[in-house]
Amino acid sequence: MSDHVSPVSLYITIFTALMVLTAVTVGAAFVDLGQFNFLVAMLVAGFKASLVVWYFMHMKYQSHLTKLALAVGLFFLVILLGETMIDYASKDFSPMPPPISSDAQIQKR
Amino acid sequence: MSSPVAHAARHAHAHHPAQQHHFDTMAQQKEAAVIGMWVFLLTEILFFGGLFVAYMIYRVWYFDAFAEASRSLNLFWGGLNTAVLIFSSLTMAMGVRSAQTNKRKATVNWLILTMILGTVFLGVKVIEYSDKFEHHHVPGPNFVWASEHPSTALGAGAAPAAEGAAEQTPAAEGAAAHRQLSLTPDQLQRTTQIYFSLYFTMTGLHALHMIIGIGLMSVITWMAWKGKFDAEYYTPVEMSGLYWHFVDIVWIFLFPLLYLVERHQ
Repeated sequence: MSDHVSPVSLYITIFTALMVLTAVTVGAAFVDLGQFNFLVAMLVAGFKASLVVWYFMHMKYQSHLTKLALAVGLFFLVILLGETMIDYASKDFSPMPPPISSDAQIQKR
Repeated sequence: MSSPVAHAARHAHAHHPAQQHHFDTMAQQKEAAVIGMWVFLLTEILFFGGLFVAYMIYRVWYFDAFAEASRSLNLFWGGLNTAVLIFSSLTMAMGVRSAQTNKRKATVNWLILTMILGTVFLGVKVIEYSDKFEHHHVPGPNFVWASEHPSTALGAGAAPAAEGAAEQTPAAEGAAAHRQLSLTPDQLQRTTQIYFSLYFTMTGLHALHMIIGIGLMSVITWMAWKGKFDAEYYTPVEMSGLYWHFVDIVWIFLFPLLYLVERHQ
């Protein structure tokens, strides 16, 4: 069996990249980027996850079938997240639902 | 799909002891295990995906509460745990590599180091959880959201008003602290509770996965010590590795989502 054995230097490089990206995501959180704070945080996390999947989890060396299986799973995750958020964004949900009745109001009744 | 003749011809050679009867080759057996493990991990991704959807909806609805509650988490412990988990992913990858290259003792040592790092992560989690109990940040009848965190509105801007605030009731102090927020203290009391419900559900399920991972790892370590693996057959080590890396990936997303909602201000 000819499984690919990654060099130790590659693992060290990926580990270093993951640590640097963690510092980047913490640093970016302290900068006011408005709406982009969330986007940056998720892009960095997505990139970190990709590094782990591709190199630590050896996806790079797997068969097309295994890669396809992962792609299909991620596709359904995108549907789950994307279409739910589209649904909530496009329907007439109040930004502050449901109206919170405070304890004080309940006691008055 | 091999013919009986071809199969018999293969039987003339010695089988690897770990090769199951229903697989033609070790490579085929490995491929089946890898794809099976990935399909399992995909169900795990969608399992956590449901929680992420719940988180997203409530985060959009109650962003100010999420930002407030997120600032109350200790960034040092969260960052440390992120580093610990990433390091444990490295030691896990090294463990698999040692198995690939027939290094029995190195495999055992890397796996033990991975388990130790996993335990450190859980230990830090215990510190954080007990802190939540102390501060009444555990959802339920005893949940109290008091803005006692200096990083929030009680910073430099509130200092000149400190004399006047001394006479105020705690509730009024809270209202002053949240003047710039869209939520009243009472709304904050309820909506931060949603944040902490998600916090405990997500980190709790993640911690459960860590505990299962450490249990898995101890079995694999024992098997490695017994010399059950070699360069031809180390599938259990690699499959546990995939699981361990997956748990790391979940934390890679949980860390910014829970600890870094809005740190500037």
